[in-house]
Amino acid sequence: MAAVSEQTPSVKEARTPLAIRAEKLTKEFRLTHQPYSSLKGLLLSFLPRRVEHIVALNAISFTVHKGETVAIIGQNGSGKSTLLGLIARVYRPTSGRLEVYGRVAPLLELGAGFHPDLTGLENIYFNGVILGLTRKQISERLEAIIRFAELENYIDAPVRTYSSGMLMRLGFAVAAHVDADILLVDEVLAVGDAHFQQKCYRKIREFQQEGRTILFVSHDMDAVRQIAPRALWLDKGILRADGDSDTVVTQYLASTG
Amino acid sequence: MCTLIAELWHYRELLWTLVIRELRVRYKNSVLGFFWSLVNPLVTVLVMTIVFKYVMGMRIANYSAYVLTAYLPWTFFQFALLDSSQTILVYMQVIKKIYFPRALLPLATTLANFIHFVLAMGVLLLYLYLYVGTPLQWGLLLVPLVMLAELLMVMGLSLIVACWNAFYEDVKYLVSVGLQLLFFLSPIIYFSEQVHHMSLLPDAYREPIFWAYHLLNPMATYAMAYRKLILPPITVVQQNPGLSAPPVQFPDMPLPYWLLGVNLLMAVSVSLLGLLYFRRKEWDFVERP
Repeated sequence: MAAVSEQTPSVKEARTPLAIRAEKLTKEFRLTHQPYSSLKGLLLSFLPRRVEHIVALNAISFTVHKGETVAIIGQNGSGKSTLLGLIARVYRPTSGRLEVYGRVAPLLELGAGFHPDLTGLENIYFNGVILGLTRKQISERLEAIIRFAELENYIDAPVRTYSSGMLMRLGFAVAAHVDADILLVDEVLAVGDAHFQQKCYRKIREFQQEGRTILFVSHDMDAVRQIAPRALWLDKGILRADGDSDTVVTQYLASTG
Repeated sequence: MCTLIAELWHYRELLWTLVIRELRVRYKNSVLGFFWSLVNPLVTVLVMTIVFKYVMGMRIANYSAYVLTAYLPWTFFQFALLDSSQTILVYMQVIKKIYFPRALLPLATTLANFIHFVLAMGVLLLYLYLYVGTPLQWGLLLVPLVMLAELLMVMGLSLIVACWNAFYEDVKYLVSVGLQLLFFLSPIIYFSEQVHHMSLLPDAYREPIFWAYHLLNPMATYAMAYRKLILPPITVVQQNPGLSAPPVQFPDMPLPYWLLGVNLLMAVSVSLLGLLYFRRKEWDFVERP
């Protein structure tokens, strides 16, 4: 069953400080079958109603040390994004404890933080500030961000004219330059072309060498094996396995058949 | 409370960026830009002046100046609330991805509208003093205080409205209907003196009702305050054009300073209450059913 281990398997982080510690972390969502996003619905809500409690994460415990790269794998709906959301402080845990040390930078989903009518440049500022930089710091890194995103010729165009690949590049480029302690990468790399994916992986390696913590959600098992020495396998909100990524991926693939 | 304000201060760069973004987005694809926020009230006040002077028989020199002085604060009040009601939903994609104090969103919308208001007031004052030749008065020094009170009041209300609208999208329609009513219930196209002499009010309760009205409707206080502080006192003369009865005269009422004080206190409380209320609800935005 749940191979929950307090010790982390790889060797190098034995004495490095904690980055994330989850203890019996549980997150429930209420799912109403009659959503009341209108007043009529609100009035009707006094009638008895079926409210389902969905347990997205069920008493998960694990620790991540500074400098580790951990992949989170599992089927759709297994709680991977909820876990990242909890770490990014988008949700509050229903019960249990979650400690996060250091600045978290989620790699914003395709254009999530972008305003279509603003230029790439203006959006870099907005995204960077939301990720915790000051405007001055962004100005200093501006050139590097634009060069990394390979958008030199389009940076003054409104982002509504961008392709999805260009948006992804811009999003990754900003998140990669905010000096976050913990980087959350949620399946966004799939959009880029092979060339840019390689570049992103190189950047991720760079982060690893700099000793940053990376949490990485992916359905691409090859990428998981290559990038992350350790993997967490979530299955319907339960931590099924936590260990060295080759082993966990093999178990996971065996179970899905 | 203190930690909350400290956190907002910590995120001031983000607040400022949101304000700039709001201002940029608004006029991104327009040629005249900021001037649109002047054109709108000017045209409205022009029409109001024609209607009230020539149709309804308001006999007041410079009527349009008196209306504009109350109408600009009103547009700030109105648009800040309407815009704020939308912000949480507009930024939902970002909210779902990363933490930042959500209160920054309605606050930034309110501040962006406030910047417009300050600029528009600046243009109005320049026009009044340089072109019309309105005499300068000491009351002007209090205008920033009234603007601050209005800003705090609108901030508090915006936070509450933004919060409700995140759960029930009907709120923005209710707000827009409510604002329409409030416009007619506030002395913007008419004068406080006329409210004071309303024949509807029983004489025994005239005073308490009149002041209760100003306390309950902060916009009435602001309309009165801006007018009295910026423009010289006037006697309002009202004549029904169809009747041969002599015009009715309403002598000028001085602005009671206690009203400003009480309003400022109310504004501070409303903004703090708004922050606390928003704080209690902000985690539910992402989980709304």
